[in-house]
Amino acid sequence: MNADRRGPWYLLTGLILGLLIGLAVAWVFQPVEYINTRPASLRADYKDHYRALIASAYLASGDLVRARARLELLQDEDMYRALAEQAQRTLAGGGLPQEARALGLLAIALGQPPPTVPPPTALATASPSATAAAPSPAAATATRRPATLAPTFTPLPSRTPTPTQGAPFILEQQELVCDPKINPPLIQVLALDAARQPVPGVEVAVTWQGGEDRFFTGFKPELGLGYADFTMTPGVSYALRLADGGQPVSNLTAQECEAADGQRFYGSWRLVFVQP
Amino acid sequence: MGRWIRFFIAIIFGVVVGLFYGWVINPVEYVDTAPDSLSIDYKSDYVLMVAEAYSVEHDLALAVRRLALLNNRLPAEIVREATLFAETQGYADADVRLMRALAEALETWNPLLETPTP
Repeated sequence: MNADRRGPWYLLTGLILGLLIGLAVAWVFQPVEYINTRPASLRADYKDHYRALIASAYLASGDLVRARARLELLQDEDMYRALAEQAQRTLAGGGLPQEARALGLLAIALGQPPPTVPPPTALATASPSATAAAPSPAAATATRRPATLAPTFTPLPSRTPTPTQGAPFILEQQELVCDPKINPPLIQVLALDAARQPVPGVEVAVTWQGGEDRFFTGFKPELGLGYADFTMTPGVSYALRLADGGQPVSNLTAQECEAADGQRFYGSWRLVFVQP
Repeated sequence: MGRWIRFFIAIIFGVVVGLFYGWVINPVEYVDTAPDSLSIDYKSDYVLMVAEAYSVEHDLALAVRRLALLNNRLPAEIVREATLFAETQGYADADVRLMRALAEALETWNPLLETPTP
């Protein structure tokens, strides 16, 4: 009699109890194991390692199609930007220079603009904060899983931007650029080969009292494949040379300029290096 | 049917519903995984990338550090397993050769002879 008066609540109690047991097993004691994950699910720092390795492998094989297919596995929103930013981070963080260079060169290869590159004079007004050009959508459609499709080695030498081998660079032009839009002041470097084509991947070394920095041309392809820049601190004297050998330039300090309205600001140095 | 039997049936039903929800509808999501959880084809491609880079850099210590991200096993074993997979999956001969070259280099690699990286 008492049991009948309790009604069917015991069924609901059993159901909830069972549900809790089921969820505990599914989420805690025996969760779904991800043992066959894809590179896109990797933690950010592992993705960085993966991306650097893709770039190093690209530098070895020159196979841009394969490198692009591998990068697509990481599902970066903008693979060009991811590469360029990681290259800068690697340099700034004291990482392997060859990895930074590989990342930069792969970024350049992916974001390579049409053959018409900005002339040297365009650099005087180009703002360093300009955003990078995205890779072409047509090129971004090449998708495949590199491992299972047994990709073949197809070197693409014409798409592999490597520094021109030959004579060391000589300083052709050193010019103070008075442009208030360029703030803070920069040392702008442009490396050209004998045919006056921009040369990416040229290592630039800047030294000053108590410090040194190294970077590569071409990390900002929107400003030219042979372009690189360095931010100056007013009052500090810098010396610059191209690491592949070449004419050193010393006593580079931020010089004051005067705008049309009388306002004073620091100008930038533009250095054009050419291979004879 | 007794009350206890119906009670246990309700529990079992609840367990089934809970498992279905936890395993199928809303499973635990792993978003920050480590390379050792990658499937074998991605692992093999990773090893191939290490082999490609090694063929130019000739830096065995760097190759070992890269392979160490995959798991804690001996680097030579990792490369051997990946090479075996590459052979069975019909990777290009040039790729398999690179992986074999790395495996051979690792067979004679002695970490004690490496100069520490600053």
